Amino acid sequence: MKKQKRHNLVYVAAWLLILAFFAWTANLLLNVQSDWAQSNEVTRIDRDVHGLLAPWRNLNRPGNDVLENYEVERQTRAFKRYLGEYAAARTALEAHRTAEVPMTEFYVGMDEIAATVETLASRVLQLAGAREGLRLSGAGLDSIRQAETEAATTMARMDQGFQVGMDLIVSMDERLDARLLELVASRRASIRSLYLILLVALLSSALSLVLLRRIATQGEALRSGAERINAIVNNVVDGIISVDEDGNIESFNRTAEQMFGCEDRQIVGHPFIDLIDPESLEQYKEITLGHDESEYLGRRLDTSEFPMELAATRIEVDGRPLLVYIVRDITERKHAEERLRLAASVFENTTEGILITDENGTIQSINPAFTAMTGFTAEEATGENPRILHSGEQSADFYKDMWESITTSGHWQGELNNRRKNGEIYPQWLNINAIKDARGRVTNYVGVTFDITELKASERLKDEFIATVSHELRTPLTSIHGSLRLLGGGVAGELSAESAKLVKIAANNSQRLVRLIDDILSIAKIEAEKMKFLLQPLAIDDVIGRAIEANQDFAQQYDVRLQAHAGIREARVLADNDRLMQVLTNLLSNAVKHSPAGGEVQVGVQRQNGYWRISVVDNGPGIPDSFRDKVFSRFAQADGTDRRKGGGTGLGLSICKAIIDRLGGRIGFESEAGVRTSFYFDLPVMQRQAMADVVVSG
Amino acid sequence: MKQAALSRILYVEDDPDIRELVTMSLQALGRFQVAACDSCAAALELVDEFSPELLLLDVMMPDIDGPATLKVLRERVSAAAVPAIFITAKVDAGDMARYREMGVLDVIVKPFDPMTLSGQIQHIWQRDRSVANDHSG
Repeated sequence: MKKQKRHNLVYVAAWLLILAFFAWTANLLLNVQSDWAQSNEVTRIDRDVHGLLAPWRNLNRPGNDVLENYEVERQTRAFKRYLGEYAAARTALEAHRTAEVPMTEFYVGMDEIAATVETLASRVLQLAGAREGLRLSGAGLDSIRQAETEAATTMARMDQGFQVGMDLIVSMDERLDARLLELVASRRASIRSLYLILLVALLSSALSLVLLRRIATQGEALRSGAERINAIVNNVVDGIISVDEDGNIESFNRTAEQMFGCEDRQIVGHPFIDLIDPESLEQYKEITLGHDESEYLGRRLDTSEFPMELAATRIEVDGRPLLVYIVRDITERKHAEERLRLAASVFENTTEGILITDENGTIQSINPAFTAMTGFTAEEATGENPRILHSGEQSADFYKDMWESITTSGHWQGELNNRRKNGEIYPQWLNINAIKDARGRVTNYVGVTFDITELKASERLKDEFIATVSHELRTPLTSIHGSLRLLGGGVAGELSAESAKLVKIAANNSQRLVRLIDDILSIAKIEAEKMKFLLQPLAIDDVIGRAIEANQDFAQQYDVRLQAHAGIREARVLADNDRLMQVLTNLLSNAVKHSPAGGEVQVGVQRQNGYWRISVVDNGPGIPDSFRDKVFSRFAQADGTDRRKGGGTGLGLSICKAIIDRLGGRIGFESEAGVRTSFYFDLPVMQRQAMADVVVSG
Repeated sequence: MKQAALSRILYVEDDPDIRELVTMSLQALGRFQVAACDSCAAALELVDEFSPELLLLDVMMPDIDGPATLKVLRERVSAAAVPAIFITAKVDAGDMARYREMGVLDVIVKPFDPMTLSGQIQHIWQRDRSVANDHSG
């Protein structure tokens, strides 16, 4: 903005100069015109004077009579008197001219002379009338003659004086003519000068306009260039700081302002070393000696520090040496370097094997853990395909599915068996992720893997432990429970009423212990995600029929009938038969235990929004409101009497929920106190095509 | 057509208590003829003479387990086509599937109720007979 104003001032000044020039020229023209007018006036007066002098020249000719001569003498005397006035006027004119008095005064003088000459002429006419009177009187003729003699004498002197006056007039004429010539010459010169001046003025104006236009254009270009340079300097990502030979900051671009947290006006003039952390000063002294590019700790105005990279260049501007520093805030780079260093450290030191391939799957890099796991060194593996690890234990379809997942979702993870360099086959867990560039194009694949040999062994031990516990607990319980049941059933002979009652208590509790063991083992498997599901298409009617059959005896103990409603023959679900039986058995036994004696438990199937809903309905007391949100929690029972009455463990419904969740279904209940309680689970309707696929693949 | 009732069961169980319990239950409540033994070797000694209609085998036995015993017995003409039922306390889903794949009629899980065991076995055997008759007829 300042530069713009300055430029406008230059424009105004230039135009003022041009206007002044024209004003001067106009003034000059006016002066010339004035001279012209003055010269014309002098000429006119001169002409008038000559006109007035003509009769006097005629009067002076020889042959006139005495009277005439007398009169002439008188007139001549008068004329000479006036001639003296005329000469005085001329002298005054000369004095004016010499003193270069304004022409107007000269004209006034000339007007006075003219007025005097007119008066003189008038008196000459009066003298002529008087001469006629004298000629008639004749008296005093002698005196006249005497006087005439004297007059003749005087005439002679007058002639002499007149001649002097005429010489003077001639001289004055000549001088006046010379003056007129000078004036004419001066006028012509003035006119030539005027033309020349006008020409020069026109040329100057044109030239000035051209020059001003060029200057304006150049100024615009310069200003535009300067602004562009300023814009560039202020918007470069690097700080640019110029420092004078005394080490003081001379300029500070905007990036530097942001970098150091201060404004240009705050820092200009301060020593540049104020921007350097004191610990870096020694290093800084070295850099100023020439081109360099090093890392320093920069210090902001608030004394906080940041890592920066400094490059110095020595330049010369207008004969003055300057150091120009390019400052780059490398905080982000340092962070990135730190992250890279950490990543590299992780890559080198992690216990997980890391494998990096290009987009075609060719190995580019492996870490030491990968070498330790596979036996292949980086040199051996680089450039190879991961197929060098194939054990042959996975099918072609396995790898096809793997790559399909990687190429579609960019991710795959799972277990597989690979072969080490020494031929040993080992189980590994592998997680593969696609790495994409900014345009979303896959550039690399990164596989993170670890040997799960020990994990697998541990899992096997755990499985064996669970199986063993299950077997070893069940075997004695089978004997105990079986014996009690046979005793109670009278197989070994009739028991007394008291004995039968005691045996029944023992049998019921042994049964309860069996269920508790079953449920705890189920929970353990679910938590360890070791509960295996063998999914297969199942006809729901068939499963319900078998569940009712398996629980019929139990229901009879409670005098409850199990009733399957007419099902839907095509109802199929994809589920694990045993787990589905476990769920149904649990729901049936709960319904039986809570049904009144003589009651009925109904099992039904209906289709609902893409699901098959299997419901088990009883007419028991229902679920208390206070217990509804705890129904599927572990060890949850509506009240303590339930446990005593039904011998439940409080785990059954939580196990059911876990199983149904795993099957992709949902479980719930509807209860109307004392009227009807329905526990149900929904499983997705299995489509015919899906069923056919399962059958084929199975 | 009235189906023939199950009569002779060859039962192999290494645990003597359970063996005694099951034998008592099957004989007293099911009125079956039961030849009970504790190992594969003992079963081989019995099978030809007893000519069972059903093999009832415990799964987890020392030395030769139930599935292996079934294979061995099936090699005998007298038991080659005899249906079998496993009894086991090992209820892992994978094991259960494997047992069924071996062609056994069903798997009875320990602890079972000896009061209903005979009816359960009779039901399984007759279900198999019905299927066999359907296929043959």
